[in-house]
Amino acid sequence: MTVGAQVKGCYSSIKNIEASLGILANKTQDKESKQAFENVEQIIKQIKNDLQKQVIELSKEEPQYK
Amino acid sequence: MITVPEWINVILRSLTLIVLLFFLVKLLGTKQLSQLNIFETISGIVLGGIAAIHTMDPNTNFSYALIALVIWFLVPFGAEKIALKSKAFRDFTEGKGTVFIQDGKIMEDNLKKEGYSTDDLLEKLRDNNVFLASDVEFAILEPSGSLSVLPKRENRPLTPKDLGIKLAPSKEPQTVIMDGKVLVEPLANLSLNQQWLESELDKMNVSIENVFLAQADNDGQLSVDLFDDMIAVPAPTEKPLLLATMKKCQADLELFSLSTENMQSKEMYDKNSKKLQNAIDRITPYLS
Repeated sequence: MTVGAQVKGCYSSIKNIEASLGILANKTQDKESKQAFENVEQIIKQIKNDLQKQVIELSKEEPQYK
Repeated sequence: MITVPEWINVILRSLTLIVLLFFLVKLLGTKQLSQLNIFETISGIVLGGIAAIHTMDPNTNFSYALIALVIWFLVPFGAEKIALKSKAFRDFTEGKGTVFIQDGKIMEDNLKKEGYSTDDLLEKLRDNNVFLASDVEFAILEPSGSLSVLPKRENRPLTPKDLGIKLAPSKEPQTVIMDGKVLVEPLANLSLNQQWLESELDKMNVSIENVFLAQADNDGQLSVDLFDDMIAVPAPTEKPLLLATMKKCQADLELFSLSTENMQSKEMYDKNSKKLQNAIDRITPYLS
């Protein structure tokens, strides 16, 4: 696997985490838990954005593996 | 006047008294059952006795039974209501607790006053899983006759608070399926609906009719027990899976940061791996 593919895999895992946290935040009945899930979701979102830029960078560097 | 055969009379009396007694006891409240004080014990016995006598003996005047029952009901009922309002009256009717052990020292005078021997005290302590009297900081004999024991700080069970572990608050789980039937109200309490339940069961590959018992916690995780105990049911995996994915991604980011030579990317990976670690630390209590 190329670095680009690895980073892409990680990026999609991060997206998965973000979505799961969103589901949990909506499902939980407890305010404190909901708050915690939403806060962590925000952190994950920032990581996701950084990774997304990296994925684009890498696909420019390795156009043949796109 | 038609003379009623005595056996019919007995049946009628019994049925009337059963119904009457049922409602009287209901009104007196469930408190009666759990913690009887002396007064309540006696009134309970007398109510039963009155009912028994007048059921068995057709020659007694039935109206006397009713009068006696009502009086034996009204007085304890009234006493209970007054006791709710007045602390002094409550102390009088229900009694006060007696301190048996204070600051780790046994109060011999109080023991004597309540007629407890040392053996009795030790027995009561053993009931509370205390085998060494010196482990006790404070013990009080409640008016109901049970001994409440506060062990010394070092002898109390270890709690998450002592260890400084943060735990997510958890509410009572709701039972959503019983004997293969969906209970709608508990589902609504969790603001979930039957579609959700069906899709969750689909994920586990079971149908509602096969479920003996299903409970959902306040995060909407479903755990089920089937009629057929031969079929293995998957345990809820959503949260552990999420945590594992987060840990994997964190490790991946660390790996990228180590393997890349581009300083800018290195920094970005490093920053985000730390961020993710922070996120994992924060969310772990809620995912376990």
